[in-house]
Amino acid sequence: MKKRHSNSADSAVTHRRYSLFFNPWFQIALSTAFVAASELCLKRGVMESIPASASWSWTGLAGLTSGLVWLGILLVIFSFISWLYVLKHLPLSVAFPASQVVHVLIPITSWLVLGELISMTRWCGIAFVLLGLAVMAKPAARLEEKI
Amino acid sequence: MTALSLVLILTSLVTFVAGNLILKRAMEHAAALGLSQSTTIRYLIAGTAVMAVSFFLNLGLLRQFDLSYLYPFQGLSVIIISLCAAVLLREKLTLPLMIGSLLITAGVVLVSIS
Repeated sequence: MKKRHSNSADSAVTHRRYSLFFNPWFQIALSTAFVAASELCLKRGVMESIPASASWSWTGLAGLTSGLVWLGILLVIFSFISWLYVLKHLPLSVAFPASQVVHVLIPITSWLVLGELISMTRWCGIAFVLLGLAVMAKPAARLEEKI
Repeated sequence: MTALSLVLILTSLVTFVAGNLILKRAMEHAAALGLSQSTTIRYLIAGTAVMAVSFFLNLGLLRQFDLSYLYPFQGLSVIIISLCAAVLLREKLTLPLMIGSLLITAGVVLVSIS
């Protein structure tokens, strides 16, 4: 387990036992950001690719002809590495629900960056996800201290 | 939705859940015995292979359906993974964790149907 007690310059922003970068919660955020970016690349990539034969189109392999799909795959690999680190440090039943914050990130970035409108139902969904994370976070933080 | 796409969606969900469980097991081994240990590597390869199947099925499904249509199934995976982690990996499911997971699932479904 990574411990950095000596670096006082970092201490204001770092976790008690991890530096910010090696904090599993930061890695969850990083992993979900990569997933969100990859989803966008993959969706655009598969839509522009043309399957060679209709009978294999369901596998999604035709997407490999698109550069955007490859970028998406690269981002998936980055998110995968972060995710493995998270799995090493947090229980799956805590890490996986927390990773669902991606479903909040995508509509909010679309709203902020692309100016897309968010419906009332969608705001309610976002509120539910955040509330769920808040309910989970307190006991999960205690649990992390015990590890 | 045809019967085939339902089977594909379910397969993609099951492989996603199984992949995560295998990878968690791999990282438990890595934490206890080290990353280069043969059992760890075997679990890592198995987990990555199962996740790759899920990834390409998902890519195929993305071609046919909107992202928002596939989201509710991903929402379901929260409950399934939490339950499997409790039963198969013997993780402790506390009440706040269960309530939190249910709220997150409801949220994901609401985000996707809107």
